[in-house]
Amino acid sequence: MDLLIQFLTNTGYYLVDIRYIVMLLIGCTFVYLAIAKQYEPLLLLPIGFGVLVGNIPFFKGFGLGIYEPNSVLHYLYFGVTSGVYPSIVFLGLGAMTDFSSLLAKPKLMLLGAAAQMGIYFTLLSALALGFMPKEAASIAIIGGADGPTSIFLTAKLAPHLIGPIAIAAYSYMALIPIIQPPIMRLLTNKQERRIHMPEIRPVSRIEKLLFPVAGLILCCFLAPASIPLLGPFFFGNLMKESGVVERLAQTARTAIIDTATIFLGFTVGASTQADVFLTTKSVGIFFLGAIAFSLATASGILFAKLMNLFSKEKINPLLGAAGVSAVPGSAREVHLVGLKSDPTNYLLMHAMACNSSGVIGSAICAGILWSFLAV
Amino acid sequence: MVVGKFNPIRKVNTLEVPVYGIDAISAANGWAMAIAGALIVMSGLSLLSFVISQLHKLAALLEKTSGKQSEKALARKTEKQIPSAVHPPAFNIDEAREAMAPLVSELGEDFELKLLYELAAANDLPHVHLSIRSLRESGVIAPTAEGLFRWQG
Repeated sequence: MDLLIQFLTNTGYYLVDIRYIVMLLIGCTFVYLAIAKQYEPLLLLPIGFGVLVGNIPFFKGFGLGIYEPNSVLHYLYFGVTSGVYPSIVFLGLGAMTDFSSLLAKPKLMLLGAAAQMGIYFTLLSALALGFMPKEAASIAIIGGADGPTSIFLTAKLAPHLIGPIAIAAYSYMALIPIIQPPIMRLLTNKQERRIHMPEIRPVSRIEKLLFPVAGLILCCFLAPASIPLLGPFFFGNLMKESGVVERLAQTARTAIIDTATIFLGFTVGASTQADVFLTTKSVGIFFLGAIAFSLATASGILFAKLMNLFSKEKINPLLGAAGVSAVPGSAREVHLVGLKSDPTNYLLMHAMACNSSGVIGSAICAGILWSFLAV
Repeated sequence: MVVGKFNPIRKVNTLEVPVYGIDAISAANGWAMAIAGALIVMSGLSLLSFVISQLHKLAALLEKTSGKQSEKALARKTEKQIPSAVHPPAFNIDEAREAMAPLVSELGEDFELKLLYELAAANDLPHVHLSIRSLRESGVIAPTAEGLFRWQG
């Protein structure tokens, strides 16, 4: 009888409390959004199920939890805390990205830079709300709208916040169709949204081959701390463009990035154990994450309008919203908002240029913040 | 980094003094970090933007150079090929007859041209094909009724 009672007191039914139930509901919501609404299913499904796995109550000391040394989940989570998964994801991203539109319209890269201003505004806001500098920097990088970059920087600066920051970053990426369009409409008038962008010139193979080499050298000389992200990113792109290692490029943009995404999403989800996740800090992070994302969108749009004051060739300011590095969600949203104003206005290719420069920009920002605060 | 060396960051980190508002930003050197960070990323991407705006010129230059090189290579190849087609190497039929005669004697009175060709090639005779063709055309090697050839020289 004692044995049975002991067993029952070790079950999840006995150990569960309201916090676990809240987290299980959040996990189920993510799974629902991924499957029924198809909101970023590649991210929300592994994260959502990871949340369910991480919030099964268990008897501490069995070596089961993600934070318990020598547990299987702990070993899988090492890829997150060490920054390995984000680097691998960037390798695959590089092997997927076509920089043709950016190479054809280099000035669109400035919009990718402008959208990063949201990061610095959020840094100040987080500091003002009482977060420690390393925590503030980790929260601010959510404004880059780049999940792997957010996880990478947080793992280096504030590993105890990986769960909430990753969940916030990916949630806002999934909510792009809800967050970005109102900001775009608020900051632009119909006439501006109707600006047509000129057709993109064809880009030679040599340009595509030179870009990853030039990009790596210029960016990593400036912010060496971004090497773990931009190194694999540009390498992946060179593999793609060289055409001589098509098999490797194909593997990088399929099997490798998929494997990393699965483990990244799953373990990040599992790291949201109720006792470490449901805190007032998490609420602050979600609030500041929304601010960061909105400010990033707004600063991209406003900078595009500023450029129009000095440039003969007008830029559609909606493109500024694609300067955040949520690929390809924000580019798609810019395209759709543009089409609503003028059904003949196709902005997708130009928006992708801003999007890919946003990826580079947010990785540089992560490197800069890391080098500022890693002392 | 200059910003990292600034003391208040460490002070806030180690003592964990809860500070809010503008004071917190100043104590953590937040203004400097934000301004420096924004300027660095802006200037970095502006530089990259400028460099990639010039890439097409570099690409055109490289294509032009490689185009010139391939034109030169093609011209050299053509120069090499044209003389050999127009001016066949100096050839003396008497020398060819002299070189082939011992081989023919090895093959017997009637022989196949193929065997003569293989034997001549095995003995490293120069211009084997041309020699046999010339000997055929000059009647030194003449066909027989059985599809074989006979030495007439």
